[in-house]
Amino acid sequence: MRPRIVAVLNQKGGVGKTTTSANLTHALARMGKKVIVIDLDPQCHLAVALGMVDSQQAGIDQVLFGHSTLAQQLLPVRENLHLVAAGPRLQEIEQLSKGASHRGDLLRKALKANDSDQDFIFIDCPPSSGILVANALLATDELLVPMTSDFLALQGLSHLMGTLKKFETALNKKYRLQLVMSRYNPARRLSRDVLDTIKKYFPGQILATPIRETAALAECPSFGKTIFEYRSGWRSAQDFEALAADFLAGRVM
Amino acid sequence: MAENEDESLIGYDPLAWLHETSEQEQDTSSAATESFATNGDEEQYPEAEVVTADPDDVCEDEPAFVDQTVSAGSERAQQIVLDSVQTIQNVAELHEHLLHALNHGNKIDIDASAVTMIDTATLQLLLVLKQTAINLQKQVTIDFPSERFMEAAELLGLAEMLEVDQAAAGFF
Repeated sequence: MRPRIVAVLNQKGGVGKTTTSANLTHALARMGKKVIVIDLDPQCHLAVALGMVDSQQAGIDQVLFGHSTLAQQLLPVRENLHLVAAGPRLQEIEQLSKGASHRGDLLRKALKANDSDQDFIFIDCPPSSGILVANALLATDELLVPMTSDFLALQGLSHLMGTLKKFETALNKKYRLQLVMSRYNPARRLSRDVLDTIKKYFPGQILATPIRETAALAECPSFGKTIFEYRSGWRSAQDFEALAADFLAGRVM
Repeated sequence: MAENEDESLIGYDPLAWLHETSEQEQDTSSAATESFATNGDEEQYPEAEVVTADPDDVCEDEPAFVDQTVSAGSERAQQIVLDSVQTIQNVAELHEHLLHALNHGNKIDIDASAVTMIDTATLQLLLVLKQTAINLQKQVTIDFPSERFMEAAELLGLAEMLEVDQAAAGFF
């Protein structure tokens, strides 16, 4: 069975893409699912969050350049969880000028050639809307959009939806889109209003558990640990456990 | 601008366009549109510089451009597909199409993926369109610019003003 390929996407920075990628994939792995997570952000934050601090570690850059297969770049980072690092040359993909018409299709081809026995492949996208994000959009039919509960994130979501509609038209496909409320502060009225607004436009598409903002979630990447290792059993760990269950069961708000 | 009328802390609702399906009323400011109409007149263009592709790449038999309306949720999005050859020879026709699009929608998507030859007249027309749209609080987006389009826009120093992105060029 082919793995489900999910792009964790939002061109706005600071909305929790990497936090979601690291902790949700680890939560799924802890549930026994076999997961690959690809760091498609040249900033390499996902690798750092999972404890891989070598910035020269090759990864998806070599795969996209055709020098390696995906299977050759898998790094076992946790039980059931493999990381494909960004690699030091990933930024060069954005700047490629030769064969431009094929630059957007590199990741899709690499994933198609991958025959490893996995349940999920997650792609942690960079906060941009350039060629790397286009690669993710061509490679997957399923998008997970982390979203913070502030006004500018709402504005960013509007922009993202415009971009997605263009890709849907150009590629003649419809994405399965799900949202994750990230860095949520239930005590703040604006947070609730933003959530109500999103519910209005995305009924049945917001995963049921909002990830509440906590200090522990902000702290754990610096130790190269997920929330389950840094503060096991704490509120944020419970949130991500519940989110993983929502994701598997398709449970939404 | 869509605004929430209740007690919500969200004033302007940037997602409103996803829901609005009814056609926008054509209350376009005629003065501002007229400004575009004047600025876009081909007689005002200087002698055109032409950036060409290989002759084999040019399909002169293709129609000038396809103009269609896409109801992308809310705002009525006008979609215009640029022909492979966009020069002063057909700039008046393009001007007419753009003016129509500007008058009939709040959002114009211009597909520039097929462009193999474009001159300064066309690029200036697009630039005036962008500026006019800003004044009208409308949105013009140039999607999937071809490499030739990017080359011309960068050569003339207009890429940034036209908000075309090299990274997203040449996909299709």
